[in-house]
Amino acid sequence: MTTPATASLWRSHILPFTLLVTLLGVATVIGDYLLHRLDLVWIGRYLGIPGTLLIIGSLIYSLRKRKVITSGNVKTWLSLHEIGTWLGSLMVLVHSGIHFNAILPWLATIAMGINVISGMVGKMLLARSREHVQGQREHYQLRGLSKNEVEQAVFWESVTFDAMTKWRKVHIPIFIAFAVLALGHIVSIFLFWGWQ
Amino acid sequence: MSKIIKIVLAVNLIVLAILAFVYPHLMVGPGKLIPGHGKLETDCFACHAPLSGATTERCTTCHKQEDIGKLTTLGQTIQKPLTSTPFHQKLLKQDCLACHSDHAGVKRFRTEGRFNHALLQADARKECQSCHKSPTDSLHQQITGNCNQCHTQQKWVPATFDHDKYFALDRDHNVKCATCHVRNDYNRYTCYGCHEHSLEKIRREHIEEGIRDFKNCVECHRSADEHDIRMPGRGQEQGGRNGRERDDD
Repeated sequence: MTTPATASLWRSHILPFTLLVTLLGVATVIGDYLLHRLDLVWIGRYLGIPGTLLIIGSLIYSLRKRKVITSGNVKTWLSLHEIGTWLGSLMVLVHSGIHFNAILPWLATIAMGINVISGMVGKMLLARSREHVQGQREHYQLRGLSKNEVEQAVFWESVTFDAMTKWRKVHIPIFIAFAVLALGHIVSIFLFWGWQ
Repeated sequence: MSKIIKIVLAVNLIVLAILAFVYPHLMVGPGKLIPGHGKLETDCFACHAPLSGATTERCTTCHKQEDIGKLTTLGQTIQKPLTSTPFHQKLLKQDCLACHSDHAGVKRFRTEGRFNHALLQADARKECQSCHKSPTDSLHQQITGNCNQCHTQQKWVPATFDHDKYFALDRDHNVKCATCHVRNDYNRYTCYGCHEHSLEKIRREHIEEGIRDFKNCVECHRSADEHDIRMPGRGQEQGGRNGRERDDD
């Protein structure tokens, strides 16, 4: 029998996660189909560039979180990180198409896919962590912090929550693997492609 | 990130980097090369210049333009050439990549860069039959040259020529092209190629109607229907006395 807590977990976390992953897959297939159907395959060839730039741009969140940069609302940067990586991944997936040619770009694509799924798991864990640290909200309010300051404090509590720390230990190596493989693909393209 | 993970990650990536150098055709090559270039599979820089891709200069190192279609890169005569006539010698400029793509993955989805007649020198563009065989149907077997009167150099079909616009080939006029277009010259025609239309007979009939200029028959007659006569500037007339530049009684 499903308990209210299980139903809530399914509705609030697992369902959105599943939907986002499925949507990415469906959007990729539709994008690839349309480009072939409309005889616009060449667009797919160059879609890797804006996709990669979006993913690189979304890494600003990581810099903000590590306080390498200090400007901007960290929650906004996180939202941009989530949207940028999802959209960038979609572009890269359409770019890769379903054409098995070389191993290296495919390893990069697979690493990116794992990275995206890992990121979505992180998003889910972060939401769970937020729920866990909600109790802290009252504590901060009692200390007389403003509403905005309370939000920021709760956010930092949730991203440093134990589960998130553990998740990061998996997410970062996956990202590094993806980054190096993608870099290898990009270097090989620059080396051999005729940019005419 | 723990030290062990860092080491495992680094070792894996180094192995992949080594594999990319040892087996570049599998790791980074966009599909198989054409069979003739199979031996170059692991030698990317035989065709690719660093940072600028495959270049014509590298192609012509092995493939001399004057020999293409005639001799192999080893100087032997090609026994079964792909085209009946070598044409690479008649190209406007040397740009191998405008048509050729060696990797299967690139070739499959290449929309541009296929052969284009515009790349041929003007004289070569007129010599269709040096490369193309004429179709074996009865119409085309009667025709030599002048393909571009009906066909474009982009597509064989649709053929744009509609003979009915000039003259309807109905009833007694469904004859061989050369009956009217002597020596298959489709820039000219004659209506005096059969017994029915002799110059003397036609002249007499037109003079009787007061028509003195009757050199260009199809200017007024667009079919065998003697009542379907179209006079320039006067539209269509049905029967009766009519004709261009005729004498008034």
